[in-house]
Amino acid sequence: MILVAGGIADKVTEVVCARLNECGYAYRLFDLGRFPSGHGVAVRWTDVGPEGSLRGPDWKLDLGDISGAYVRFLGPEGRVPPADLPPATATTLRAEADTALMALFDDLPCPVVNRLGGGMSNNSKPYQAWLLERAGFRVPPTLVTNDPEAARAFQAEHGEVIYKSVSGIRSIVRRLGPEQVGRLGLLRNGPAQFQAFVPGRDVRVHTVGDKLFATRVASAAVDYRYARRDGVAVEMAPCELPASVASACLHIARELDLLHAGIDLRETPAGDWYCFEVNPCPGFLYYERHTGQPISRALVDLLHGGVAVATEPMREAANI
Amino acid sequence: MHLILGHCDDTCCTGVKARLEARGLPTRLMATPFEPPSRWAWRLGADGVSTRLAPDDGPSVDIDGVLVRSNGWVDPAGWEPADHAYMQSEVHAALLAWLAGLPCPVVNRASAALWYRHRNPLLIWLPLLRRCGLPTPETVVTDDPVAASDFGDRLQAAGVPGAVCTWLTREDAWLIAPADWPALAALQAHTPVCLAEPHGRPRVACIVGRKVIWNGSPTRAEAALEPGLRRLAVEAGLDFLEVAAAPLRRGPGVVLVEPLPRLEHFDPSTHAEILDALTGLLVPDHAFTPAVQEAHP
Repeated sequence: MILVAGGIADKVTEVVCARLNECGYAYRLFDLGRFPSGHGVAVRWTDVGPEGSLRGPDWKLDLGDISGAYVRFLGPEGRVPPADLPPATATTLRAEADTALMALFDDLPCPVVNRLGGGMSNNSKPYQAWLLERAGFRVPPTLVTNDPEAARAFQAEHGEVIYKSVSGIRSIVRRLGPEQVGRLGLLRNGPAQFQAFVPGRDVRVHTVGDKLFATRVASAAVDYRYARRDGVAVEMAPCELPASVASACLHIARELDLLHAGIDLRETPAGDWYCFEVNPCPGFLYYERHTGQPISRALVDLLHGGVAVATEPMREAANI
Repeated sequence: MHLILGHCDDTCCTGVKARLEARGLPTRLMATPFEPPSRWAWRLGADGVSTRLAPDDGPSVDIDGVLVRSNGWVDPAGWEPADHAYMQSEVHAALLAWLAGLPCPVVNRASAALWYRHRNPLLIWLPLLRRCGLPTPETVVTDDPVAASDFGDRLQAAGVPGAVCTWLTREDAWLIAPADWPALAALQAHTPVCLAEPHGRPRVACIVGRKVIWNGSPTRAEAALEPGLRRLAVEAGLDFLEVAAAPLRRGPGVVLVEPLPRLEHFDPSTHAEILDALTGLLVPDHAFTPAVQEAHP
């Protein structure tokens, strides 16, 4: 039995459930949008791990019967607020409930897409870039600094430079132009991240266990995710990766203990491949709908098969 | 220069600083390397990572070792709340990257998993403790009042009164007495609760490198935990770790894991040994001998 823990209003979770239905794979939806209302948990930790059950409105699932778990925690906007609690109390108790579930999902013996620890590197872009570089990827020359002079020197060295947030807080990647250069003095208040602009074509890779789906993205936008908002067209098509790049993608996903990852690459006109980021909770739907690549099918097959790729998590993915 | 990232009211910071300085090693205590007037830069390129830190807006210094006692707290004074939250995240993220790539001893050089979940309750540590062969209190997480009271009854039958209810998102726990079960059931209508087997008087220990330093003399059963405790530190990637062991129904077990040890949890007579061992991790190329005597009452 497959466990899906997410919100039915979340499009990615909805697609995973739809694909499970299509494939005839039995699953239970633990609706995090409503939890704890109508859902429950009774788990006991012993010397051999957790045992017990989860329950929903009309079902009960023994932990030992779970072949794979797909987990997508929700932000406050995806939750149904309890009517009988003040908002602050509801927030506190929801955090408490989520922490309990995170502990449980991290400790399930079956494949879990994804365990929380593996995705934590995504909260620090330079840290993750350092991991990528160590894993053999080419990464854009990067500077994080609170020194305006260092930023100016970096721009002088690389010419075209972009800037973006250091942390996992989502930011739109922008070119460093004259207006921003005029504000570099504000760096004295705190560091920011700059990268040499790498020209080329974007490729988004989704890994699912040991399967890989590469999608070439054609757009004139600096950050294609926001291209349509800026009135710039986006086109997508499946593509092949050089063997070494494909191997590196699978390798980093395994190293980070991510059974499912979204990896942002760019191929330069000279044929060099750069890696920008690994997303531990990828919204693959956008790519699947544009290309027809069977990403969700691979995902539910992985959850159904209950066979995780052998992982030897590196230190930053230690399951704590 | 040795750098201690922390605050002057942290006796661990001041103790290590005094020891390093007594050995003639320049040492600086600061909350973050980004604090003005410091100038800081971290670069990643084809040849790996390079960093530059110029404290006081002066010349750059070489970093010989870092003791991390703060994860980059940003003073909220002068910030709008939303801006402060953003900048706090940015500083936090930058500091993790910088510490990860430094080619010198860093205590502790945390993983991202730990950096971002450093206040983990014991429940989050259970898988790792289990892998290290370390016993832990029997624990139940449930929103089912019947399952909760069954757990209490089972403990009662084993001669253990009550159960410890632990908040998972803040450092708070209380013993559930018989009269408390109805209130607990009311709470369970809104969230699962974490209940654990109560334990006896705990004894704290520090793992510093490969050394386990107990507060007082451990019993034979407590000392038998040491291989597991060393493995715990290695698996967590930590050089400096505090744990508490306490009697459980089946013998001593680990009831607390703290990646930011506090000297205040230890008898003053133990402080010097901890600080000496900690300082030794930061100057691994030198045969370290205690150079500073703590003033003990």
